[in-house]
Amino acid sequence: MTALNRTALSRAISDPRPVDGLPSRSPMAGLDRRSLGFVDVLAQSVGAVAPSAAAATCPALVAARAGSGTLLAFLLAGVLMALVAYAINQFTRRMAATGSLYTFAARGLGVRAGFATAAAMLVGYGFVAMFALLGAAYYTLTLLRRTEAGVAGSEPLVIVLLLVFGGVCLLVLWRGIRISARVTLVIELASIAAILVLIGVLLATVPPTAFSAVAVPRGVSGPELAAGTTVAITAFVGFESAATLGVEARRPFATVPRTIRWTVIAAGGLYLLSAYTQLAGFDAFGGSLASSSSPVNDLASRAGVGWIGLLLDAALTCSFIACALASTTALGRVLFSLGREGIAPQALGRTHRRFRTPHIALAWGVAVEVAVPAALVLFGMDPWQAMGIVVVCAAAGYMTAYALVCVATPFFLRRIGEFTVGPAVAAGVAATGLVAALGLDIWLEVSGPRWLAVFILAVAAVGALLAYAVCRRTRTQALARIGLYDEPTPKDVLGGAP
Amino acid sequence: MTAVSELSGRQPGAIHSALAVLEAVAHAGPGVTAQQLSDRLGLPRATTYRLINLLVEDEYLVRMPDLRGFALGRKVAELADVAHAQDAALSVRETLADLRGRIRGGVHLAVFRHGHVVPVDVDPDFPLSDPRRITTDLSVSALGRLLLAERAARTIPSPTRYTTQEGELTPGFGCLAIPVRGKDDRLVGGLALAMPAARLADRDGLLALVADSAVRIGPLIDD
Repeated sequence: MTALNRTALSRAISDPRPVDGLPSRSPMAGLDRRSLGFVDVLAQSVGAVAPSAAAATCPALVAARAGSGTLLAFLLAGVLMALVAYAINQFTRRMAATGSLYTFAARGLGVRAGFATAAAMLVGYGFVAMFALLGAAYYTLTLLRRTEAGVAGSEPLVIVLLLVFGGVCLLVLWRGIRISARVTLVIELASIAAILVLIGVLLATVPPTAFSAVAVPRGVSGPELAAGTTVAITAFVGFESAATLGVEARRPFATVPRTIRWTVIAAGGLYLLSAYTQLAGFDAFGGSLASSSSPVNDLASRAGVGWIGLLLDAALTCSFIACALASTTALGRVLFSLGREGIAPQALGRTHRRFRTPHIALAWGVAVEVAVPAALVLFGMDPWQAMGIVVVCAAAGYMTAYALVCVATPFFLRRIGEFTVGPAVAAGVAATGLVAALGLDIWLEVSGPRWLAVFILAVAAVGALLAYAVCRRTRTQALARIGLYDEPTPKDVLGGAP
Repeated sequence: MTAVSELSGRQPGAIHSALAVLEAVAHAGPGVTAQQLSDRLGLPRATTYRLINLLVEDEYLVRMPDLRGFALGRKVAELADVAHAQDAALSVRETLADLRGRIRGGVHLAVFRHGHVVPVDVDPDFPLSDPRRITTDLSVSALGRLLLAERAARTIPSPTRYTTQEGELTPGFGCLAIPVRGKDDRLVGGLALAMPAARLADRDGLLALVADSAVRIGPLIDD
């Protein structure tokens, strides 16, 4: 065959020419690059969402705000989160970044937005991890109460449980991302199975009611619906955390977007099913979902299957531990990324030589995650009250980060020359919805019983502003580096290293 | 492979376009942007971006550190067979075009598959007069007669040099077909020259014109 009648493609294959402009080492070197398969990446998102815990507890919280608009609120939250997922996937299909959302925001809107998003993510992941540790402690207490009545409410016991669960998380996470991902997935799948068994039993036992009796909203005001939607959103948050494993995923541009998309869809389906089952159950038995403090246990005992309550308490404990693992994983990756960029102390950017995990970032993360809830408990709150506070902080952090990334989406696409109308419109709608819902939620919390959450958020915001001011003075070069992502090395391209 | 499962049989065009994208990146060299690719290929922007991102997902393309440009991924080397087939198809097309430039008449290439004549490259200036009969009745066309002659030759070993037909399909016109042989001298196809019957008289002259081409095409279409 002569050289003339060969395609450029086959010339490139048989005689690859070197590609210039590639770094010999990715800026993210040190992590276990390209090691995680689809299942492990999926485990991260599923664990962070903790769908079984949310499916069991969130419908009652939403019903307390949105009343007969409960299903509609879940539907609105699902649509909003699907739009956010679509916007986030515009980035995850194009870059693998341990810093996830804040890297994306920095690439679209610049340094300040990146810094703000990083702060919002630390608040989001950190407080969800605290929520999860408290939840694990709370449901362990519920389990213990079944055997010994006097156990509940003992302050030192809660502190001990927080320390134990925090220690377990650190141990698993320190040892390596693959082990922690697998542990997370097994735990979460087991508790989803328990929830589905319960839903199945309830649907079979509860007399059939007219679908429209529980599904159609009657006399729900706009603000009530918005508040319900915000709480429903907290059931979804965490789905994007697979993006923090972009560097470690084997085929990041395929597995990360797929994980994010399907986690939102599957979680939405589970929540609608669970909310409908609980509404229909209370409609049939009488009473109200909104006023029940442990609705699933109530329904189980009324349907004559009280033993499921025991199973559920155990499952929820596990689900919360899985959630703590996944949230700490994400928190650790964000701290690591900030450390690599030099914005946070450099030590946070170190990796363990043998386990290849960001062990210092993880240790600091776990320490704070245990300290804050312990302080709340020492100030005299019971775990349930403390959970109510931290979940508001977590939701605010997540929603701020989501909104910033949505705003960044069209700018990023234009910057790399791949702007199209579809993603821009979706991101715009999502950003508007998030800002409206979050604003309304904060407005309600200021005057409500959870003003402390707003106070903590204000402290976090002031802290972020101060940190930014310090960085502007002493770490100008580091700030300019914000938004590092994994870069292809010569061994990824045709014609690179042999 | 996921890319294959997502591109269903209903979108054969997508595979063509994907290969065209890879070809264009190879041609342009590392650093070519999505917009440039869209312009060069004449594909709509959104389609190009979707294709590119699918190829990046499967690591046939790699996004350069500036996030704007693209280079061929290491995985492209796995496409060596595809590239070889593309080369072969290109060579066959060029050989036929060359022949068509030198012969006043139609030049058709057909392969034999499961005892049938399958036209694979019909001269656009001289369409087949009755494609259905040619593909179903071996005895009416010169190409079909090649296959019949080859079967007969199994009992009387004497390689067929050519076959003809005159006026079977169109009065006054005829066809001369010569065998295209692959490895082990197996008959894999036929090259047919269609022209007015009168001009078919100079058999040796015509055979001399096409013999080289048939030899060159043989290994390229033998699969």
